[in-house]
Amino acid sequence: MNVAPALQWFATQGWTPFPFQHEIWQAYADGESGMIHSPTGTGKTYAAWFAPLLEWLAEQPETSVHVNGKQIAPPLRVLWITPLRALASDTANALQAPLEYLNVPWTVETRTSDTSLTIRNRQRNRLPTALITTPESLSLLLARDNAVMLFSDLCAVVVDEWHELLSTKRGVQTELALARLRRWRPELRTWGLSATVGNLDAALRTLIGVADYERGEVPCGRLVQGDLSKQLLIQSIIPERIERFPWAGHLGLSLLPRVLQIVDANRTTLIFTNTRNQTERWYQEMLEMRPEWAGEIALHHSSLDADAREWVENGLRTGKLKCVVCTSSLDLGVDFPVVDAAIQIGSPKGAARLMQRAGRSGHQPGVASIITCVPTNTLELLAVSAARDAIAQGQLENRPSLINPQDVLVQHLVTVGLGGGFTSGVLYREVRTTQAYRTLTPAEWAWAVDFVAGGGAALHNYPEYNRLQQEDGKYVVTDKHVAQAHRMSIGTILGDAQLQVQYVRGAKIGNIEESFVTRLKRGDKFTLAGQVLEFVRLHEMKVWVRKAKNSKGVIPRWFGGSLPLSEELTSHIREKLRQAHDEIYNDAEMRALHPIFQLQAKWSRIPLPDELLIEVTHTRDGYHLFFYPFEGRLVHEGLAALMAYRLARLQPITFTLAANDYGFELLSPEAPSFDEALAGGLLSVDGLLDDILHSLNASELAKRQFREIARVAGLVMQRFPGGQKTMKQLQASSSLIYDVLANYDPANLLLEQAQREVLQSQLEATRLQRTLERIARGKVVVERVPRPTPFAFPLLIDHLRQTVSSETLEDRVRKMIERYEKWADEPA
Amino acid sequence: MTDAKFEVAGETLTLMPERAIYWERNKTLLIADPHFGKSATFRAHGIPIPEGNLNSDLARLTQAITRTGADKVIVLGDLLHTVLGRDDETLGSVQMWREQHPDLQITLVRGNHDRHAGDPPDVWQMQCVDAPITKPPFVLTHQPEPSADGYVLAGHLHPLALLEGKGKQSLKLPCFWFGTEQAILPAFGSFIDGMVVRTVATDRVFVVTPGSVQRI
Repeated sequence: MNVAPALQWFATQGWTPFPFQHEIWQAYADGESGMIHSPTGTGKTYAAWFAPLLEWLAEQPETSVHVNGKQIAPPLRVLWITPLRALASDTANALQAPLEYLNVPWTVETRTSDTSLTIRNRQRNRLPTALITTPESLSLLLARDNAVMLFSDLCAVVVDEWHELLSTKRGVQTELALARLRRWRPELRTWGLSATVGNLDAALRTLIGVADYERGEVPCGRLVQGDLSKQLLIQSIIPERIERFPWAGHLGLSLLPRVLQIVDANRTTLIFTNTRNQTERWYQEMLEMRPEWAGEIALHHSSLDADAREWVENGLRTGKLKCVVCTSSLDLGVDFPVVDAAIQIGSPKGAARLMQRAGRSGHQPGVASIITCVPTNTLELLAVSAARDAIAQGQLENRPSLINPQDVLVQHLVTVGLGGGFTSGVLYREVRTTQAYRTLTPAEWAWAVDFVAGGGAALHNYPEYNRLQQEDGKYVVTDKHVAQAHRMSIGTILGDAQLQVQYVRGAKIGNIEESFVTRLKRGDKFTLAGQVLEFVRLHEMKVWVRKAKNSKGVIPRWFGGSLPLSEELTSHIREKLRQAHDEIYNDAEMRALHPIFQLQAKWSRIPLPDELLIEVTHTRDGYHLFFYPFEGRLVHEGLAALMAYRLARLQPITFTLAANDYGFELLSPEAPSFDEALAGGLLSVDGLLDDILHSLNASELAKRQFREIARVAGLVMQRFPGGQKTMKQLQASSSLIYDVLANYDPANLLLEQAQREVLQSQLEATRLQRTLERIARGKVVVERVPRPTPFAFPLLIDHLRQTVSSETLEDRVRKMIERYEKWADEPA
Repeated sequence: MTDAKFEVAGETLTLMPERAIYWERNKTLLIADPHFGKSATFRAHGIPIPEGNLNSDLARLTQAITRTGADKVIVLGDLLHTVLGRDDETLGSVQMWREQHPDLQITLVRGNHDRHAGDPPDVWQMQCVDAPITKPPFVLTHQPEPSADGYVLAGHLHPLALLEGKGKQSLKLPCFWFGTEQAILPAFGSFIDGMVVRTVATDRVFVVTPGSVQRI
């Protein structure tokens, strides 16, 4: 293989290719697929991009087409899948860069929901030579009736930031799309670009697919390691005064002056937060303290208008911006070489995530990446200390592939039905070549086909309402309404209905969720994109606003919950607790936590890794049980529901539940029979699965999970910014639909999926079981405390609560009303 | 079944867990927002929602009629959800129900959905009138708006009340919402989402559970 063109262009940039880049070019030329594993900023993009470029340069004389003496761009050869549409235009620039020098007549274009209508129309019949797109937009292309033709020259698929897609439904959607493309183009080569994850081999297998059992092919893939030697430094801003009662979220902003010092001392700083709400809040506070920075600092999150995001990305590229406050929207992608400092607001949540964010700074060779963590409550320092240990020991999180998600499959069937149709047996075989569906049984497959072609068992009486029709033995979509509705709702990202926000005269600003809009009255102020806006009216699915004179407005919340602590991190945290228990304080974070641990030890106890601490107390709110397994929020939510369910079997009682990464709380107006329950197997592993299933329904956890499933499977129509009004007739909340299905179609597999997803991915039932087994092997320590302890405090003030009740609705209402009556009788 | 009585504009109204008001002096049952054919509308768009709500809603209406002995029903708007929802199943089920209650006098005060969905078929024998109509001391309408002609009874909002209890408990339940000039009925249809209403001190609110109506 001739790599000379690559060497020449690299030389013009002052680079020499790394050995791993050579390895990939050769492997690609040999027809191999694989995955490149290397941190950001080490040349993954060109490693992948030059592979098909070099191939084309080698065979160019035969394949190039001339019209009037001019070479015209070849049809689609390279598909570049990116998880974030924000990355697309940057990637396009990077791919475009060497083309002119190499005299390659390729066109490079993006196609995402941000792409203009003109370009999209042009792409209707002919795609560019290299197309950069998201999994959703790729599915939309597969839903075209000319889909096979569009991809008939495709040679390579590159999946950028593959680790981000793994373990998500978008990843499964990508797997299904890849299976489709491989069937049309058996010689297709797939290359993934991934940062470090704990299970690289599984990530590779998921990318390239599994064997087609009937044909007996076993695709093999190559794992290529890039340069992994980057040095990483994790530090924290330690509050001068340690609050011994950690109040979630309140601490962070008091540390703002010290964050500003870091921003001052560096050229360009990226401030990462965990939520969009936090991003808006920090940006607002920064401007308030440093009004002279207006125009030099910016914010970036996925609910901002595309133009605004692009402006920020350009500002970062040209070094015009001093600081950008952002969410995970800037975790990934093409580097901004000027960034020399990274700051993490709030818990890092996972070791790999912190590493990724740190890696956004310090790109020059030999320079360490530094990230400074800013706790929003003092206990978060514990997670920072634990993350540093985990990274030092190379214990990064695994990202397992999802298994048989029925909702994504149902959506895919309609996509394929639109994109030329399918016969059941052939598509079943194709779908089984994905890692996600390799164990899909014929019965599960038949259910999915029946669900879209026959409406499911409950709807066999309504043949006219099917999404798919059979024509000449093929399942196809013939109905225009179905086609339109499906195209509008393709995708797997969960979100409440998003409404576009726009100035009464002028520009679009971004999106906010419908649930937030419904609480707004004319004249109410809210903040978006760092602007204080006054709500004028809601009209035709748009939120019309004008600029407000006030300096502050309510900051919207967006759905899309916060990440739980990873299992790797929780085990390191329990180890940290042992150190605290033994009075070993060997880093700045742990030393800062000393006063909290001291008070916790005085009032109650610091649990050892083999102990489960339970605190029992009583306040004017009622009776509290605090449990501290230190296993991450998801496991705690599951355990909380389980404990509440088991306790509620002993007496009619209603619990409200709160959970965080460290523990959970059960609160009830009456004293629960706790001692009796503890003696009778409250924490037992016996009957676990059965009890969990019951507690899922009791706590509405399954219903909550159904929200996403209903949307992906097309049961809930998503409203889009600027979408049509007619969709309004199709509004029903997923919880209402859940009830309808539970009442009138209880065998519906989507309900079962909701339960399974809560069990597997949400509550991680196996992890929950492991936790209970760990507790069973160890000791339960019950402390009766006169008042809530430092560990209890963050739970106490958490208002997002689940309910588990063994009382009738009538009784609960009666008690609530009696309480109002009592208030009414009290003298004012 | 635990009803609640409420006196307004000099009349006694019975608020029923069936999500209906019985006006005893006039032997009239009032309901709002049945939205019949909503699941059929979903199916017409290829969204597989099974039927089931319609028959349970009709059974609940029968129960309210049987318990009260009403001879008149007035629907305060949004009887049918959409034109597409007028499928054989929906029309047939309601017609069958109608045939079991041949002597009942039914009036529809048209609401915003009825304008697009169209009037019910003739065989349902419902008198259809534009809102508002006056039945002193009440003005019956769909969209709430105070009137000089009397105390207004309306629907349209699908009101929910938020209840808060000890131990940070909270519940959202459909409600009857009586203000000083008008009252809003809960949505009669069960495949309908609601909206939590903001009440003021002078309002009287009654929440609906499957077996009771309770004043808060």
